[in-house]
Amino acid sequence: MLKDVEDTRAPREQITQIRRMRAISCVEGATLVVLVGVAVPLKHLASLPMATAIMGPIHGVAFMLYAWMLSQTLYAFEWSRSETIWMVVAAFIPFGGFVSERVLARRQNALVGS
Amino acid sequence: MLYISLKALHIIAVIIWIGGTLVLAVIMTAVPNVDRAENAGWHSFLKVVRHWDERITTPAMVLVWILGLSLAFEGGWFGQPWLMIKLTLVVALSGLHGVLSGGLRRMVLDQNNIPKMSRYAASAIIAAVCAIVSLVTVKPF
Repeated sequence: MLKDVEDTRAPREQITQIRRMRAISCVEGATLVVLVGVAVPLKHLASLPMATAIMGPIHGVAFMLYAWMLSQTLYAFEWSRSETIWMVVAAFIPFGGFVSERVLARRQNALVGS
Repeated sequence: MLYISLKALHIIAVIIWIGGTLVLAVIMTAVPNVDRAENAGWHSFLKVVRHWDERITTPAMVLVWILGLSLAFEGGWFGQPWLMIKLTLVVALSGLHGVLSGGLRRMVLDQNNIPKMSRYAASAIIAAVCAIVSLVTVKPF
């Protein structure tokens, strides 16, 4: 009986965690795009170093949250090595966070359907 | 005054975060040696620890990041080598907390799914904290 309860709880917990990861992937991706696409050009082309001074720490917190949540998710739900590598690499590529979000959405749909 | 207040809050958050992470490390390394059939309250205990981790330790960790970055910004220390090393260690500690927290979640969901955890996790946390405190107080380079 207890095992039955756990069997239904584990996918539900994973879906909740994936929802959170999708949100933070978007935030991480968006802050990286703003940092690289807006703040860095403003610093070098318009002599506004304040732009990177503000966006740098904001993206730093978003990246830390993504990295922390990723390590928690991968360890809690035993994801495959290829998924792990992709999710780590995506954090360092502009727009990578958005691609991760789509990958996570597919995984979430598969879990909901199962 | 703002700097001192931020610093006080940062130190309080660090103590709560590191304390919580050490508790997780000690529990995770002790788990394989616990006779779970003999200890009926073990699962309830893990649930309480998980609740504490979610409600207290993790928010303290996020506060550490925000306050730490604010302090570095206030002090104008970005780009200094000691801070870069310190930030690297904080990222590593955060990753370790994520791993421990994920392992705890896995055990709460399935008592028989015991994750493999290095018995040096707690020692690694203490070593990282020693290095971080030394770097931030001495600021050697």
